[in-house]
Amino acid sequence: MQSKWWKILGILLVLYSIIGGLLFPVPQLNILNETIRNLYFHVTMWFSMIFLMLFSMIQSIRYLNGMDRTRDIKAETLASTGMFMGILGLVTGMIWAQFTWGTFWVNDPKLNGTAVTMLIYLAYFILRNSIENEDSRGRIAAIYNIIAFVMMIVFIGVLPRMTDSLHPGNGGNPAFGNYDLDSNMRMVFYPAVIGWILIGSWIAQLRYRIKVLEFNNEIK
Amino acid sequence: MLNEVKELVLKDIRLNGRDRNALYSMLLYVLCTSYVAYLSFEGNIDEKSWIALFWIIGLFAGINACLQSFKKELNQQSLFFYTLAHPKAIILAKTIFNSTLLIVLTLISYFIYSLFLGNPITANLSFILCIILGSSALASTLTLVSAIATKTNNNAGLMAVLSMPLLFPLLLNLIQTSEICLSENNLFVASNQLLFLALLNIVSVLLSYLLFPYLWRD
Repeated sequence: MQSKWWKILGILLVLYSIIGGLLFPVPQLNILNETIRNLYFHVTMWFSMIFLMLFSMIQSIRYLNGMDRTRDIKAETLASTGMFMGILGLVTGMIWAQFTWGTFWVNDPKLNGTAVTMLIYLAYFILRNSIENEDSRGRIAAIYNIIAFVMMIVFIGVLPRMTDSLHPGNGGNPAFGNYDLDSNMRMVFYPAVIGWILIGSWIAQLRYRIKVLEFNNEIK
Repeated sequence: MLNEVKELVLKDIRLNGRDRNALYSMLLYVLCTSYVAYLSFEGNIDEKSWIALFWIIGLFAGINACLQSFKKELNQQSLFFYTLAHPKAIILAKTIFNSTLLIVLTLISYFIYSLFLGNPITANLSFILCIILGSSALASTLTLVSAIATKTNNNAGLMAVLSMPLLFPLLLNLIQTSEICLSENNLFVASNQLLFLALLNIVSVLLSYLLFPYLWRD
């Protein structure tokens, strides 16, 4: 991960998605109208969060198998960056909801799943901070991190599909996916997802390096 | 392995039989909360609140029941156990014991609760199935979390913080299933929800089975 190309690619893709997301044509759907453009900024945050959490879980598994302390720091920074992305996704979603549904928060399975995910990861950070001994902290936090990710996938992957949701694409609400497979939107959406995942990883990498420097300073 | 699990479950049953304080205190808890619910609702409660209150009582009974489950294994006698049993056998035995305990406890509380507040459930078979699957999912998640919390030496405080978010969706699902049981006297209507409960059971048992050995070694 030392090379620069993926950072440049991330910047380019996100720039492209901002320009394309605001300027390219979008299908005119009822209720949604122009707010459909929020898809490029809101949904991509969730994708990026889930991928960062996935990377974090992989680091946790590798920590358990080798007890390499850098993996523990990586897992923590990736999870906290994922949390940050999740908060951004929540805020963009709330602003969108204010314009489309009329309120900031509704009782919707997807929103409940999100709230639960946030709470699980907050519990993960609290757990991390409450243990003094570094070795057992890393191990216990890694175990909880794995549980947290698996549970999150169950909750946001399975639970919302069992009930109707107010979200576009669920319960007869309009969305771009099931209507006309709008290729214009896909051309912006997928690059945006990849771009934000790369940017998220970059943020995590920077925070990881700062943590390592702090750690080394403490030892000196 | 299976023999070990059996022996460990029997050990837990014997220990609980010798020292019945824990069991009685949980029964008293269920009795008290049901009676408080009866007093505060003055006997006439609407169906939704009935269900919500029932599962909240069940949730806290579960947290109380599982809170102390690793007190002996992970602190006082951990080295002794380390030489005797395989960690996977220990967690499986604990999960089986706690699940059985919680199923019995929830069934008893269902009886006591409906004694005080009436019983609006029409589909008793699906509801009892829901109680069994739900309590065992509750117990298996809580067993793992209590193992984690015991390791941090800040047991009671962390237990609630760590387990609540993991149990929210389970609780939501249980309330949904129970609402179906109010009107539809047909096992197939609630089958999706029941399958989800079974899935949660499998996931949490699998997670504890795979992760507990790492928690165990120090």
